[in-house]
Amino acid sequence: MLGFLARRLPSVALMLLVTSIVAFLLPRLGGGDPALVVAGSDATAEQVEAVRVSMGLDRPLVVQYVDWLSGVLTGDLGTSLISNRPIAQLILSRLGSTLELAISATILMVMFGFALGILAGSTRRGVGRAVLDAVLGALVATPPHVTGLILILALGIAWRLLPISGEVSILVDPATALSYLVLPAFALALPQAGTIARLIQARMYQVQQEEFVDLARAKGVPPRRIAISHVLRNSMGTAIVATGIRVGELLAGAVVMEAIFGRNGLGLMAVDAVSSRDYEVVQVLVLGAVVIAVVVHLFSEMLLAALDPRIRLDLS
Amino acid sequence: MTAPLLEVRELVTEFAGAGRRLRALHEVSFGVEAGSILGIVGESGSGKSLTARSIMRMVPEPGAITGGQVIFAGRDLTQLSEDEMRTIRGREIAMVFQDPQAALNPVKTVGWQIEEALVVHGVSARKARERTLELLRQVGIPDPEARVDEFPHQFSGGMRQRVVIAIAIANAAPLIVADEPTTALDVTIQAQVLRLLVDLRERLGATIILITHDMGVVAELCNDLVVMYGGRVVERGRTADIFAAPQHPYTRALLRSMPKIDGDVRERLSAVPGATPDLSRLPPGCAFHPRCSLAEAVCRSEVPPLAVVPQRPQNRSACHVALREGRLPAEPRHDDAQPAGRRPALEQPILELHDVRVNFGSRRMLFRRTAPLLAVDGVSLSVRPGETLGLVGESGCGKTTLSRAIVGLNLPSEGRIILKGEDVTSFDETASARVRKTVQYVFQDPYASLNPRLTIRQILSEALEMRGVARAEREVEARKLLGLVGLDPDYLGRYPRAFSGGQRQRIGIARALAVEPQVLICDEPVSALDVSIQAQVINVLADLRDRLGLAVLFIAHDLAVVRHLSDRVAVMYLGRIVEEGPAAEIYARPLHPYTAVLMSSTPRPVPDPQAMARKVILRGDVPSPRNPPSGCRFRTRCPIGPLADPSRRICIEQDPALAGAGAHRSACHFPEDAARAASSDKTLAAAEGTSTA
Amino acid sequence: MSAGGTSTARPVRRVVYGERLRRYLGAFATPRFHAGGGLLLVLTMAALAAPLIFPGGVDQQSRDSFLPPSPGHPFGTDELGRDIFVRCVYALRISISLVVVAVPLAMVVGTLMGLAGAVSSRLGDAFQRLFDIILGFPSIVLGICIVIIMGPGWASLAVTIVIFSLPQFGRLARAQLLSEMGREYVLAARVLGVGKGRIMLRHILPNTLEPLFVQMSLSMIAGIFLEAALSIVGLGIQPPTPSLGTLLNVGIRYVYAQPMYTGGPVIMLLLLAVAFNLIADALNAAVLKTRSEA
Repeated sequence: MLGFLARRLPSVALMLLVTSIVAFLLPRLGGGDPALVVAGSDATAEQVEAVRVSMGLDRPLVVQYVDWLSGVLTGDLGTSLISNRPIAQLILSRLGSTLELAISATILMVMFGFALGILAGSTRRGVGRAVLDAVLGALVATPPHVTGLILILALGIAWRLLPISGEVSILVDPATALSYLVLPAFALALPQAGTIARLIQARMYQVQQEEFVDLARAKGVPPRRIAISHVLRNSMGTAIVATGIRVGELLAGAVVMEAIFGRNGLGLMAVDAVSSRDYEVVQVLVLGAVVIAVVVHLFSEMLLAALDPRIRLDLS
Repeated sequence: MTAPLLEVRELVTEFAGAGRRLRALHEVSFGVEAGSILGIVGESGSGKSLTARSIMRMVPEPGAITGGQVIFAGRDLTQLSEDEMRTIRGREIAMVFQDPQAALNPVKTVGWQIEEALVVHGVSARKARERTLELLRQVGIPDPEARVDEFPHQFSGGMRQRVVIAIAIANAAPLIVADEPTTALDVTIQAQVLRLLVDLRERLGATIILITHDMGVVAELCNDLVVMYGGRVVERGRTADIFAAPQHPYTRALLRSMPKIDGDVRERLSAVPGATPDLSRLPPGCAFHPRCSLAEAVCRSEVPPLAVVPQRPQNRSACHVALREGRLPAEPRHDDAQPAGRRPALEQPILELHDVRVNFGSRRMLFRRTAPLLAVDGVSLSVRPGETLGLVGESGCGKTTLSRAIVGLNLPSEGRIILKGEDVTSFDETASARVRKTVQYVFQDPYASLNPRLTIRQILSEALEMRGVARAEREVEARKLLGLVGLDPDYLGRYPRAFSGGQRQRIGIARALAVEPQVLICDEPVSALDVSIQAQVINVLADLRDRLGLAVLFIAHDLAVVRHLSDRVAVMYLGRIVEEGPAAEIYARPLHPYTAVLMSSTPRPVPDPQAMARKVILRGDVPSPRNPPSGCRFRTRCPIGPLADPSRRICIEQDPALAGAGAHRSACHFPEDAARAASSDKTLAAAEGTSTA
Repeated sequence: MSAGGTSTARPVRRVVYGERLRRYLGAFATPRFHAGGGLLLVLTMAALAAPLIFPGGVDQQSRDSFLPPSPGHPFGTDELGRDIFVRCVYALRISISLVVVAVPLAMVVGTLMGLAGAVSSRLGDAFQRLFDIILGFPSIVLGICIVIIMGPGWASLAVTIVIFSLPQFGRLARAQLLSEMGREYVLAARVLGVGKGRIMLRHILPNTLEPLFVQMSLSMIAGIFLEAALSIVGLGIQPPTPSLGTLLNVGIRYVYAQPMYTGGPVIMLLLLAVAFNLIADALNAAVLKTRSEA
């Protein structure tokens, strides 16, 4: 496992380095002078210059980058120039909402992705296969925001079963919180679940053609045991890596979901911050999203390595 | 004659296609006597594997058994429920599969997979573990306690096939169906596995159905024989009887078209025209009639029954002519052009290799360089105009790497390649141009070596353009080329998919000849082809070589094919040439034990009950070229080296040079003992790796 | 299947091309391809001809806001009494123009970057690293970064779609290149001395193109959806210009008063998705068919 980590580490490190540089440069690339923003529009040139020096903006970019990065690594995320509050505090105040959505969507994604995938992978013909193929095709072809809008129109407007806008913290009123969560979480989860299910299905079809499945039949192994110990066991790696890759897109989808369903989470915060040019906030959120996506992906690959002796044994 | 253990009666298997049913097995009937080995032999598309699967009731969907019976121990297997059938599979009838790489589940330990075969038939987990260790020992896996918990990828190909066999014998099934169990293995490993099968049969008293395309394997192993063609049994009988006097034209053609390892070299092979039929487009009547020289009107319209041949009552044959005449009449022998007299090759070599090394391994990693992997390690060879040099070796010995280095597809890291007296090792602009004009290459896989999107005309025109033929003349030249390899020039407009494997290979040869080369490198040109097709390509190659005076470097793993075509032979092992010399001398008196063992391992199509017992079986597998043994590279497997005689320390300490008087040279410290390696029973016992337990 | 070699002694080259073309078209001429292509054609024509069909323009007003769907206003009217259907058709112009410009650009550049490995393995590896990095950024996050740098609008959306699609084509081309380079017919061409460029054009590229076209179809619909997502949150096309995303941005606020304000653009998006997916499926089936025939 250590060998595996050592092999993957260089590319992960490169990825994180590039992301941190992009995030650091965002406010500079976005135009607008932070010193001017802080000093206020009616400040004199001397005042602006003084602010610039006090903020350390006169130093070389590399120094500023190292300074910013070491701050981020030690938990000092900086201060919002617009609201003048510490960014960490701003994020914490919105984190709960996004966590609720992301975690519930991830659970749904894994549940539906695996269930549909295994079902589709074990259904090889007939009406069942046609129906499942159609369902998976529709799920994959419809991205989260469109799924969300369809759910709103169907369950929020046509039948008025569920609330379509707003939120309640799960810590305050779990039942109501869930009713607000159902639609965005499903909307976010279903397209990704469809993608995962498709990959599992394809992999299972492939494994079923393998000669070792024939050998298991020739041993007299019952179909159920073949399905679990041979076919599923050899399809799990694909399923796990597929899940790991989808988590990043799921987070990105959360941004749009929050806008559509009126949830006050980090995604909406990021969008608002872009509009109000509060780039110091955006840079932290961008960095955070990519880091989470990369780490989850790495984690899924490690899980795959643990499951597959060919990787596990050759690299340790 | 005892009652058969298994009897297949009028078995019909069909595939449900779009709107119609495709019959793949037509009334197949045969029986297997308890304790015997029955061979089912046939080429691709003959239905032999499907017969095995039908017996196991494991026909791949959408296929199904639609008629006939499979009587096993008094029960008709075709009538059993799937649950009942499951109790038979693995316990009463076990199966060995072709590809040991694919037949084991990669994520489960070897032990788990053997135990599973026991547990599903009601053995307790603890007992299954004990039995598994015993089985591993029985199939000759060293140190079973340590290896039982390893995964398949940690085993070599031969070892994996032993594991598959352990699974097959786990429940002491009375019948074992082995579907091409050694086709994916090298010849020395094949000998190991076949020996194991024979030993196990003697010890356990099992009956074996052996499915194979190799008449040599059949001759050496099987008591009885079923020959299949186009989904039908065309001939059936005792192996010895069939080999002595085949009563179906197909069987006879198959036997004649095989090159013999000890046969008359210059004799032209009698090629079977045409290609093996596609099951979906079987010719009417006897499926063999389009390729049969005896075919009559009745053969084209009526399917012949499989019946006893009146004058040969031991054989059953499905041939109208043989049944009517009482026996198969002799073939009207059309003595076509005897090979032209060959000029002795006395000229200066056209191609010389001096101490060539090809390094594959050294890659720059993040922190270090990996150790060099010398796929070819110091090879010197030469080929003269009009001469054929056969290069023999098992997979991974470096023969393909070497041949590709000659045309610049791999760059040699050391040594010199000299073409017509000029050094071309650099493969710079001028050297490459020179190589291309002089040396051409015929590839192994006829299905991959032609671009599927180009017509034959476009493929040949491209090659002609490289020679500088003007656009207007290319058409004529292309037609000439097709004629040269025995194909109809009107085929130019077709795409490769319209051709059979043998035809494609001939198109590949035509493409190589388009630039009028003087040296032709043939890399296993017939190993992907069916036996009856091989001869077509071999004959074309031999004719062209003689007519055009080509120098040929012929690479193959099949000693009989090499013997048939080559003037001189070089044997390669782990990146080195271990023996080199005139073909006749090497085959008559090998001076390297590896050559001797290769020859002994190669199955001969001559029925001989003692053949298996006489074979020298090499221990273990080829070591990794990344970490070759010290001294002689063959010493870890050598039947006359330090393994057999510990006093021979020199093999461990000193790397033998390729030496010898005259043209026949070998890299062995004890060349005078080499021939003994293949014949002496004493060394045999020492080299035998599997007979313990 | 070819009708067999031409029997005349001097066959005309045109015969070959004609046969090839027929083979190509034959592989595509499936009901699926016709349905998808037809649907896409209708949508594109409607978008192109919008100023002719609806000469009143985007802001064509009715007296009443939030009218329910009727034959005169298939999707009803919006908060200012504008016809939602008309706005949806005009919105198609943005969506289609975006992907028609951005995706082929990404395809050409991405494919070249993916094939760069054939010229210099170092360059090829560098591009693959770049693709890894791009793929590390979830699509919306990428969009946010571009918007910060370029400001919102058509151009920044187009750039986002190009960068987002680049690795898809680049990786596909690279995978195809690696599998083709090892094929024996490519080796045979090298041994014959066929030049690198010619091997690329004649032997590698034709076998690479079909999967790339499948990907193009899929990337186009992904681009359309990306526009919608970014515009919904206000980081894409800016109102009052109608795009499917900006319509949804406003429409979702009035979803109780006028469900079709949301439903109309969703229907358009789904029609586009169906069209592109049918085309991709048909192309994919054609690829599989040629593969199995080879």
